[in-house]
Amino acid sequence: MALLKVEHIYKSFGGVKAIQDFSIDANRGEIHGIIGPNGAGKTTIFNVISGIYTADEGAVLLDGKDVTHMEQHLITREGMGRTFQNIRLFKGLSVLDNVMCAFDPQSRYGVVGSLLPLPKRFAEEKRGREICMGYLKMVGLEAYAQERPENMSYGHRRKLEIARALTCNPKVMLLDEPAAGLNPVEVGELTELIQRLSREIGFVILLIEHRLELVMNISQFIHVQNFGKTIAVGTPAEVRSNPEVIEAYLGKEEC
Amino acid sequence: MQILQYIINGIALGSVYALISTGFSVIFNVLKFSNFSHGALMTLSAFVGYFIAASNGWGLVPTIIVAVITGCLVALFGELLAFRRILIRNTSPIYFFVSSITLGTLFEGIVVLKVGANFYNYPRFFGKPLHLGSLIISQSDIIIFCISAFALIVLAFVIQKTKLGRALRSVSFDRDTASLMGIDVTRTIQFAFIISGALAGLAGVFLGINYTLYPTLGSLVVKGFIASVIGGLGSLPGAIIGAMLLGIMETALISTIGSGYAPVFTFLIMLVFLLVRPRGIAGSNIQEKA
Amino acid sequence: MSLYTHILTQILITVVSVAGVFVLTGMTGMFSLGQAAFMAIGAYTSGILVTKLSLPVYVAWPAAVVLAVAVGFIVGLPTVRLRRDYISLVTLGFGEAITALLNRATAITGGASGLTGIPKITTLPMAIVSAVLVIALIMFFKRSKYGRQCIAVRSDELAAKSMGINVPKVKMIAFLISVAVTAYGGCLYAFYTAYVDPTLFGWKKSAEWVIMVFFGGVNSLTGSVLSTFVLSGLPEVLRFLQNYRAIIYAVLVLLIINFKPAGLLGEWELTPANVKRLIARSGQPKRTKEVD
Repeated sequence: MALLKVEHIYKSFGGVKAIQDFSIDANRGEIHGIIGPNGAGKTTIFNVISGIYTADEGAVLLDGKDVTHMEQHLITREGMGRTFQNIRLFKGLSVLDNVMCAFDPQSRYGVVGSLLPLPKRFAEEKRGREICMGYLKMVGLEAYAQERPENMSYGHRRKLEIARALTCNPKVMLLDEPAAGLNPVEVGELTELIQRLSREIGFVILLIEHRLELVMNISQFIHVQNFGKTIAVGTPAEVRSNPEVIEAYLGKEEC
Repeated sequence: MQILQYIINGIALGSVYALISTGFSVIFNVLKFSNFSHGALMTLSAFVGYFIAASNGWGLVPTIIVAVITGCLVALFGELLAFRRILIRNTSPIYFFVSSITLGTLFEGIVVLKVGANFYNYPRFFGKPLHLGSLIISQSDIIIFCISAFALIVLAFVIQKTKLGRALRSVSFDRDTASLMGIDVTRTIQFAFIISGALAGLAGVFLGINYTLYPTLGSLVVKGFIASVIGGLGSLPGAIIGAMLLGIMETALISTIGSGYAPVFTFLIMLVFLLVRPRGIAGSNIQEKA
Repeated sequence: MSLYTHILTQILITVVSVAGVFVLTGMTGMFSLGQAAFMAIGAYTSGILVTKLSLPVYVAWPAAVVLAVAVGFIVGLPTVRLRRDYISLVTLGFGEAITALLNRATAITGGASGLTGIPKITTLPMAIVSAVLVIALIMFFKRSKYGRQCIAVRSDELAAKSMGINVPKVKMIAFLISVAVTAYGGCLYAFYTAYVDPTLFGWKKSAEWVIMVFFGGVNSLTGSVLSTFVLSGLPEVLRFLQNYRAIIYAVLVLLIINFKPAGLLGEWELTPANVKRLIARSGQPKRTKEVD
């Protein structure tokens, strides 16, 4: 059973056909790369899958469950985590608290416990802190737990976004240009991190990236998007030699 | 016949509301926040118009001119005092809320300083009402409507056909891109405040004519807010349509259930609109992208 | 009773309401111009239940708060789903509607001349205990899961939803806590001044509270409390400058917005840990620049 099944989704905004007939079949432990020129609709695909937009046609199935028309936060609770192209961390909260926010919907106390010093609240808060520190450790940020995200480097902020998304217990992880703005050393660290997560946790990873070295190296499958349409699907090797892909990126060869 | 009378009175009322709501909307469109000092600006301009022109017997047109000029100048001053640094420093737009309310308090404080809690009245600018069959149309209503309509037409012309108007529309759409295209954003925003201030001054005089001049006259700006919401925040034509509708609805409501409960029903109407058609009659649906 | 006791009691009652606004506006970023209307509901309901229906105070006050929360829930249902800009306008309209109702329903509320004859029950010790309790509750809330989610929602609603946060639910919780606390403040107020009328609860009052939160620092409950003292107490102390009070107040706030938008205290909270840090830092010698 495919963990993530996207079946022929379409999405238009007024006259703009952002996605035309996109499909994916992803199993446990797979990393799928989505590449293509800017404006090809890649982030829109993520937005439809994660519930920010609803597909005009087609279906999104997460672990067999139809989440096409589900509300965003409920889809996340079904097991989907994501990071954003333009980092969206919570200002006014520490690094640890940023990650705790993703744990909070799973936390087992209510409004009364929020207002009063009840034992259940303290127990759950402790449990949450342990879990979140675990994820921070996984991305190598545990020393920064009490720092403010605004004070951290770009590379660290990207890792924090990943730690936060991991706390959602995702079965499917959407990474939107996680290497954007990183220097080569940081890209190397990120590559290693993504591969480690894929090995240790075994979820599906969808990766939008412009850094072709990164995405070609770690993905099992690549989807090439252009103007909302999928122009090629296959292994990195297959896609690399596909003439349509080459044309989309480099232009037609003049004879 | 009665309905026609409602409509006529409602349109007269609506035209003043339209001045308020467009003055408010211009700033909302360009800066994306509610300028809560707009009401106090109306009051201040109306009073200055009174003390300089009307109490010296200068007549309607000079009073309007004084009020409009006051509105423009004070609005410019207010922009510098309360909003400029927020814009330049790119501080969170949340602060516009606090600074606009405080600015309003400042304007009102200045009025109270001069006037205390006293009421003032504009001198009689108009003659007797006209009778058309069984319809009664007051001269002030006609003239107010004509001047308002004229002002709004000029506004529409400026926004659609002039360079500054285009700049305004660009800055409303995307401030950063507009500045990258060479538009002087600060100047454009100042221009927006001049327009808003002029409309406030005009609206203030008309409110002063329709009611009386008292320091908290500006609280009638709430009608402008509600009209904008009904018409659609973000749309100037919407602000006008919403104002007209509000004017007619209010006239009908006041005649039937009395002016005391009218605010309750206005609120409920606004709620209904927000539930059924949140973007208002003419507003645009802006979705946030990831 | 001395003048200072009187001023202090009123300030403390305001602190209760401002703490509620801190949760709604400071933490969750919802700008309501109608919170004073909930204070009115609390004040009038408790006042009416005691004066007209002769209910005992310990029944009337909770009943008033419950009613306020019920009304708050109804108003909140559409409001929490609205965009930020609309919330202030809708709550403004709501406040005006309540003021109109209070003015009109003369038989029940006394209309424009207000409700009189309310027994004077609130004392300074009561005000102090109330303020301390409310502050404690909200401090707990700020560090709780819902507190964090409120701040997340304020910071980035879209990202919050993507992390599984139920945004309308969180907003409603913040709204209702604010309503309950403010309504309780209304009960304290009505049974202190022994008289309430509709003019006391307009949108300007709601705005004053929002300004106090910002003045003190949107992320600091301590700041909100401090600025309540400063901005409420100052006009009293400056009574001789009667006519200039509003202007001085406005200038003060505009200065802070322009030059220290983070507010008086910024993010700093009066917690044991922070106080320890402050003492430790003031004990250290000043660092000098290394010169090579």
